[in-house]
Amino acid sequence: MAAKAFSIEDGNLSNKSIITSRSRLYQDIDLSFAKRSSGDIFKKTDAAAVKQSIKNLLLTNKREKPFNPTFGTNLNSLLFHTSEEFDEIEVKSFIANAIKNHEPRAILRDIYVSIEEEYYTANITIIFQVISTQEVVQLNVSLARLR
Amino acid sequence: MAAIKSTDLDFDQIKESLKDYLRRQDEFSDYDFEASGLSNILDVLAYNTHVNGLIANFAINESFLKTAQLRSSVLSHAEALGYYPKSITGASATVNISVSTGNADGIAIVTLPAFTTFTAEVDDISYTFQTLENYTATNDGSGNYSFTTGTGLQNIIITEGTLKTKTFIMGEESEEQVFVIPDELMDTSTMVVKVYDTPSSSSYVSYVNQIKVARIDNDTRAYVVREAPNGYYEVIFSNGNVLGQRPLAGNKIIIEYLAPSGIDANGAATFIADDEITIDNVNYSLSITTVSNSAGGSLKESISSIKDNAPIAFAAQQRLVTAEDYKALILKNYSSVIDDVISWGGNQNVPPIYGRVYVSINYKDGITESVKEITENAIKTQLADNLAIMSIDTVFEDPENLFLELSTTFNFDPDLSGETAETAQSNIQTLITTFFTNNLNTFEKVFRRSNLLSEIDNYSEAVLDSRMTVKMNRRLIPSTTIASNYTLNYPVRLAVPDDQDYIVESDTFVYNGQICRIRNILDSTTLELVNLSGDPIVDNIGSYNSASGTLTIENFIPDSYSQFIRFTVVPANQATIKPLRNYIISLDNVKSFARATIDYQNTSAVVL
Repeated sequence: MAAKAFSIEDGNLSNKSIITSRSRLYQDIDLSFAKRSSGDIFKKTDAAAVKQSIKNLLLTNKREKPFNPTFGTNLNSLLFHTSEEFDEIEVKSFIANAIKNHEPRAILRDIYVSIEEEYYTANITIIFQVISTQEVVQLNVSLARLR
Repeated sequence: MAAIKSTDLDFDQIKESLKDYLRRQDEFSDYDFEASGLSNILDVLAYNTHVNGLIANFAINESFLKTAQLRSSVLSHAEALGYYPKSITGASATVNISVSTGNADGIAIVTLPAFTTFTAEVDDISYTFQTLENYTATNDGSGNYSFTTGTGLQNIIITEGTLKTKTFIMGEESEEQVFVIPDELMDTSTMVVKVYDTPSSSSYVSYVNQIKVARIDNDTRAYVVREAPNGYYEVIFSNGNVLGQRPLAGNKIIIEYLAPSGIDANGAATFIADDEITIDNVNYSLSITTVSNSAGGSLKESISSIKDNAPIAFAAQQRLVTAEDYKALILKNYSSVIDDVISWGGNQNVPPIYGRVYVSINYKDGITESVKEITENAIKTQLADNLAIMSIDTVFEDPENLFLELSTTFNFDPDLSGETAETAQSNIQTLITTFFTNNLNTFEKVFRRSNLLSEIDNYSEAVLDSRMTVKMNRRLIPSTTIASNYTLNYPVRLAVPDDQDYIVESDTFVYNGQICRIRNILDSTTLELVNLSGDPIVDNIGSYNSASGTLTIENFIPDSYSQFIRFTVVPANQATIKPLRNYIISLDNVKSFARATIDYQNTSAVVL
């Protein structure tokens, strides 16, 4: 294996290790509230933080957040409507508007909605890019009636 | 690290404080994004702080009389000051009741029992009025009976309301019973409390409301009635020490009272007895003559009224010593017929007369002279004789009405408004009338011209500016048969005479067959009586004193005049008219006007 050679201008790099770091842009608390072995709580960072945030947004009903009545998507309530009352385009529209208005860190790429009427279930896949990075993330959310 | 500031009440401000705290650390960064988990946790913390802050704020507010909002809190504070707010009150009317049998040999004395009912209508709705005590009548020798009070007066007061009865059995002393009357519409002033030895007894002893008792000793039988937090009423008796005697265990207590309709039954004029009266086994119709229409019906005392009156009543301590004491106790006891009261010591009177307290009462509309007389007698006998300092006489003075004549002019740009100048004139005159209704028309209220002009300026942006000339008048009803001297007092200084304008001018009247008026001679305080051409008929008929605000007319005897003669004067200071003692400032609608001058705000190139 050939030895590495460096110019004089670059200094004696061979004696130093190259350290790279990546600053954590987004740091959020993990809403599972699971604890590490150290006893501290887990964190969500960067894309995972944004992903948790969007999931939180989708699962929050409007008027649920104090003093912020427009926050949320009301997706849960759709499970109790008949399938004639809404369609997949409408659901996509709800989600797109909510992300546009309340999650500025995500650039929405695509939304897939699959409604399984016989199981009273909606499977939602959201593909988004975290802003200021090139990272594209996929989030799957499944909503189902329990009663 | 600085502490989190959590004294705000507003949710957003609290949440912002929490975010400020997180900004000072680098552990988490997503608190600014509303969908983040951290934001949710901040929501919970901020909401909790917000609710706790509000509850603490409400609790502190409810802890003080002046800031309490709940009626139950206000009642509690008032009770601590010894003040019992007034209940709903039934309208009362004064009537003469008689019956004619035509039987000269009939029974000598007839009794009209308490709670005899009468029906009257107001606005096509029937109301029941009742007597509250027994009245008797004696045969006049022709079989006619006129019922009278215990003091021999024929004026009998009947009160509106439905009779209700509640029966209780007294328990053991250790039970510390409170007797609840589940009725928010109880007129406590009509309560009759009878205590029977046993449930089957027919004889009873009466208990009286402790606020009507001047002196309490071992033999006093008194009760306390108070409004409960839920709006019902509670009656409590002595524990055997403080309020004198108490009913014994096993006694039957019957409480009778009227549940009235309040203000709705005011104004009833014709009363018809519901039942006939039986005399010598024959039924006869009662004949009712109305002396005064029903008046004085009122709703429960409002929260704001309790807040105003309770501290004054507490300061009075059920004694008539200061002028404010008279005001507090008279208002407390007779507010059903009285709008406002003012009193002053004889030392402050003009001229000073020591050993007297002067009281002037502004009665509610519709209160007749007979009710006024009854009220003033009651104030003397029930309040002053029991609670005032010995050897101090109470003297009633009628309110002195001072009428203001307001000449209002304003520049008006119709382009800035959808209404015409005529409509604006009419509306501004209404605004002035409303201003007097809301701010004056009672004792101790000062007229300030600038306040009224501000309201006129604010009426519409089309009103560009406004001006007002203020004059005042008092009304004289002189004799047309005897020449007399008259003195009119005004509560403020009058303008000094000048050679341009008349300071004093009267209405016209007929004098020696000519239509005349009285005015001051220009540049003089002497008054002359002139005809319509301005020719003097009497050179000197009196004078006015600018400094003392008095106007004296001597040896005056007009032939005739219409209703009264106004004496209009110009005050020295038109900006402020302060009433003195029992003066009430009102608006003279006939002599006041508002006039618009059209102003399109176009500016001219030359001075016009």
